[in-house]
Amino acid sequence: MAEADEHPGRRSFLRGIAGGVAGGVVAGGAAGYALHRPQPDAALATDTASLDGRLAAVPFHGRYQAGITPPTQRATAVISFDATTDGKSELIDLFQTVTSRARFLTAGGTPPPVGIDGPPSDSGVLGPTVVPDGLTVTFGVGSTLFDDRYGLASQLPERLTPMQPFPNDNLDPAQTGGDLILQLSAGNADTVVHALRDIAKHTRGGMQVNWRIDGFTSPARPAGTVPRNLMGFMDGIANPPLSKARELLWVQPGTAGEPAWTADGSYFVVRLIRMFVEFWDRVDVFEQQQMIGRDRATGCPLDATTIFATPDFPADPTGAVIPLNAHIRLANPRTPQTADSRILRRGYNYDRGIDQVGDLDQGLIFTCFQQDVKRQFEAVQTRLIGEPLVDYISPFGGGYFLALPGVRDTADWYGRALLT
Amino acid sequence: MLSVAMRKVSLLTIALLAVATSLTACGGSGASNTISLNNASCGGTWTLAKPGWHTFDLYNANSVGGEVDLIDPKTGGIYAEIDQLGPGTTQTMSLDVGSGRYAFRCLFEDTDPLTGRTVTVPGHVKGFAATVPVTYNDLLGPDKEYQAYVAAGLTTLVGQTGTLDSDLQRGNLAAACRDWLTAHLTYETLGAAYDAFGSFDDEIDGRADALGVTNPKWTGFYRIEYGLWHGQPASELTPYANELAADVRSLQAAWPTMEIPLIDIGLRTHEIMENALEFQLTGHDDYGSGTTLATVLANIQGTRELLSLLHPLLVSRYPGLPAVYTWLDRLQVLVEAQHQPDGTWVPVSQLPVSASQAIDAACGQVLEELAPIASIAEPRNA
Repeated sequence: MAEADEHPGRRSFLRGIAGGVAGGVVAGGAAGYALHRPQPDAALATDTASLDGRLAAVPFHGRYQAGITPPTQRATAVISFDATTDGKSELIDLFQTVTSRARFLTAGGTPPPVGIDGPPSDSGVLGPTVVPDGLTVTFGVGSTLFDDRYGLASQLPERLTPMQPFPNDNLDPAQTGGDLILQLSAGNADTVVHALRDIAKHTRGGMQVNWRIDGFTSPARPAGTVPRNLMGFMDGIANPPLSKARELLWVQPGTAGEPAWTADGSYFVVRLIRMFVEFWDRVDVFEQQQMIGRDRATGCPLDATTIFATPDFPADPTGAVIPLNAHIRLANPRTPQTADSRILRRGYNYDRGIDQVGDLDQGLIFTCFQQDVKRQFEAVQTRLIGEPLVDYISPFGGGYFLALPGVRDTADWYGRALLT
Repeated sequence: MLSVAMRKVSLLTIALLAVATSLTACGGSGASNTISLNNASCGGTWTLAKPGWHTFDLYNANSVGGEVDLIDPKTGGIYAEIDQLGPGTTQTMSLDVGSGRYAFRCLFEDTDPLTGRTVTVPGHVKGFAATVPVTYNDLLGPDKEYQAYVAAGLTTLVGQTGTLDSDLQRGNLAAACRDWLTAHLTYETLGAAYDAFGSFDDEIDGRADALGVTNPKWTGFYRIEYGLWHGQPASELTPYANELAADVRSLQAAWPTMEIPLIDIGLRTHEIMENALEFQLTGHDDYGSGTTLATVLANIQGTRELLSLLHPLLVSRYPGLPAVYTWLDRLQVLVEAQHQPDGTWVPVSQLPVSASQAIDAACGQVLEELAPIASIAEPRNA
């Protein structure tokens, strides 16, 4: 075992701290994914590069995690884990292992051969060379990690709680919460599956999957518009521009009540939302559009003729054009008073079999990022209580997490500021 | 008709093209970095310019297939191997070359081993380490000891299944439940021999999966467990207990003529626990007694036996060996914690989530740590 030879004195209970041989196929930030290149309309970004499975590597190191601000990728998996580590030093070992695997997987490279010393070091799902394929790894922590197991109670982020149930929710405890959250997104499903297999293999003893769900982003149809959800409506049109990230997205150093380690992190809300698509498909399109507030075919607000037009709610005070309880009107009233409740939405569609009566189990993996889960997601969701759309959807799982600050460089690791 | 015939022709053409393509991809012989192997020269005048990552394209120019190793000819250590290189085919071998001696060794079918020229990389650059192979000879002792371990286990089992049989004949169901578990756990410590047991294993410890629980052909421990914990009367179960005791006696009688292949000793070190994860920790093999965690403990004991037999061979070859024991110990403690003061076991279906997560995670880590042993303890030529 070459890696063990290299670290003879290191007590490491998790296998394979040494990564693959990164290099070879590592490309620069050509995909324009880095935060310093503002993308006011992320959802409009072209996705043709993913079609051949050769998206460039998204730089892993940085002040912020790299998977939060790019446009949604074609394939994703969201996996909740509980830590099974025994004590804080093993938890550190776990976070360092996740870091080193993420660093390798996002860069790509050739996994090391093992000679006659064991099974192959890599699953081979991506062939002999691991391609980056735009993989991003977003790693976060849930409130339960801050119980008495690891002595972290005093480091609990001020706004991190178990996910609050709303009146229309039907939360299944088996699909809700978790100590840790991992979102893997890439240009293709095989890249996501490969990354999950790799990370799980290297962390068997350290964390155990609670629940998981796979998702996808559809191509924009027609081309040049915005991807659609499984209700047939374009989704994610009105995200705030990244120029507002400081006010809306990242926990700032010195944010009231927040422990210092949370700076540059972001509150990460996951909501697993079943859509009753058969029921929805039996609803008149006019009524569908009234519920959403947009034209189904074009994505335009019902009072406008372009997708990205700002609906003029003051000009429609009685809701004659866009009803007062339409989804887009409640979610984002476009007023100065609600501007600081805007969230960065990164939803994915899911499609996973059938329910007890043979209806399709399809819906939305709603994920969003924000600086303050109370001021933002919960405020938005509170406005949406009782919206007409609730008859056609059922949130059944997910959780609140804090996406950790970025891993700055090769010496840094996920959660270093939290755990040291 | 014409169009059908034409389609056939074009399909054939496509098939031929596909063959040609795969030959180019997998069997090419013209590349400049190709190292040619035949029964007169294993590698010819190949060279290594400098340390670092190298990929060798190894071409079998012989008319028969064989194994190719890259070895340190002084120690016999193996850097890398290709188990089967067919005649006329090429496979790649990659490794991080450090300072040291390198030679190819060809083990063609029906031919004496042939070691090619030694190439020396000077200096003190650390590369991939060569592992001294475990030989057939090395495994004879452990195999013999394991045979004896199984023989002793079967002797115990003959007595225990006899006790179970007489419990049921006397109609003492409470004693039968207790003695069933004792006997079953003994059997569950013999995991590396199940394959060698052949059809005896199905008769003694077969699952209902393919037969269904009402099929009279389903026999053995699990059948009796199903009856004992589903209210079946002793009279219904006595024939099964009788048959089980007879099967175990027959197995004991046949055991001296049975052999455990040498390769199994290493393979089973992780396969016993793979089965524990798949069938016991999932609850699949719980036919009513809720004792699959006790079975896991017996499986751990069986795995420990193999490890102790292989220990002298592994200790110098497997740096991960201490971690194997660390995690086996942790798993054992976690499982034993589910043994209740009254002697019963918590069924896996009733474990709190945190307990099952901890057990499943530890078992998964045990398996990752055990997995390399199958490769390391595979019998190879010296």
